[in-house]
Amino acid sequence: MTDHDSELLFARAGAALRAPHPRDAAEIEALVRRVGAAPVVHVMPARAWLPWWVGIAAAGVAFVIGLGVGRTGGARTTVASTGGRPTLVSQVASIGGGEQSIAFVFVAPAARKVSLVGDFNGWDASATPLQRTDGRNTWSIAVRLPPGRHVYAFVIDGATWVADPQAPLAPEQWFGQRNSVIVIPEDRRS
Amino acid sequence: MTDEELVGRAVEGDTDAYAALVERYYSSCARIARRMLRNDADAQDVVQSTFLRALRALDRFDRRRVFRVWLFTILVNQCRTAMTGRRRREQRFSDDDVSLHAAIDERPAGAIDESHLVAAAVETLEPLLREAFVLKYVEELEYAEMSAITGAGVSALKMRVKRACEALRPKLEAIYHD
Repeated sequence: MTDHDSELLFARAGAALRAPHPRDAAEIEALVRRVGAAPVVHVMPARAWLPWWVGIAAAGVAFVIGLGVGRTGGARTTVASTGGRPTLVSQVASIGGGEQSIAFVFVAPAARKVSLVGDFNGWDASATPLQRTDGRNTWSIAVRLPPGRHVYAFVIDGATWVADPQAPLAPEQWFGQRNSVIVIPEDRRS
Repeated sequence: MTDEELVGRAVEGDTDAYAALVERYYSSCARIARRMLRNDADAQDVVQSTFLRALRALDRFDRRRVFRVWLFTILVNQCRTAMTGRRRREQRFSDDDVSLHAAIDERPAGAIDESHLVAAAVETLEPLLREAFVLKYVEELEYAEMSAITGAGVSALKMRVKRACEALRPKLEAIYHD
């Protein structure tokens, strides 16, 4: 058998194994349903306690096209535009007295409402509702937090409790749920 | 729409865009997992887990990379993890001829077709040889892509493919010449 014949033999075997599998369609359908039901695509508070200048530095390194700095509710919000699409880089502001404003950003296109719960609001799902900020996918809110360790989670549609996958999990549980933890450092600028 | 465009939309929360990526790559992932794990149910678990992990990590995906290669890397690692936890079951398949004949004998009359026979032959290969053969001849990847996915060097992968082909040749010749 020549090398060419061998190559044809293995190529034929590979083609045989590419034949459609009868279970694929049902498995794809099941997975697409799970993807559609997943309320969390990504959450970004893990970056929220970065100093405000980190956002600007990161934006500069990434050759960001545009940079806007605004104020919302007393919080400095740094938003970099890359390729015409806004990308939230970081959100943090010193309020005074060591308190800082932390923006919690949550992407959940299918949600009807999203709330922030934590030890700072008594785990009250009605106390800190997030607002849609881009009219479609993104929910956010700025919350003043004192320096220290805070445990929190998001509540989707008043029922589904979701920890932040990009933040460390707190070892302790509240109401049988795992939650995320955020540590606010002392503001060295104040 | 390209993978890059779908990834960009999915990162911004468009679940339909991610569903499109699932539909585009599910069959490839399932083929790799079925051959690696030799068990359809385990393969389904691993593939579904792979796509959900990739979804959660999508905003950290380096857009300079090829999405398919990144996805297959997660998949191969998931398969290896699953195989490590299943060594006892793997031992059932330690004898090449027993495995091949058993795979054939277990199928009902009339159900044995070319793909079943080839699959049974490929499944007799050692895991690393099987992985290399599937990526090369089933998914038709370049060696550079295979290297990125498996973490092995190109020369090592060429050697694995060569050894896989040497082991498979008599089995495939028997299948195609019978």
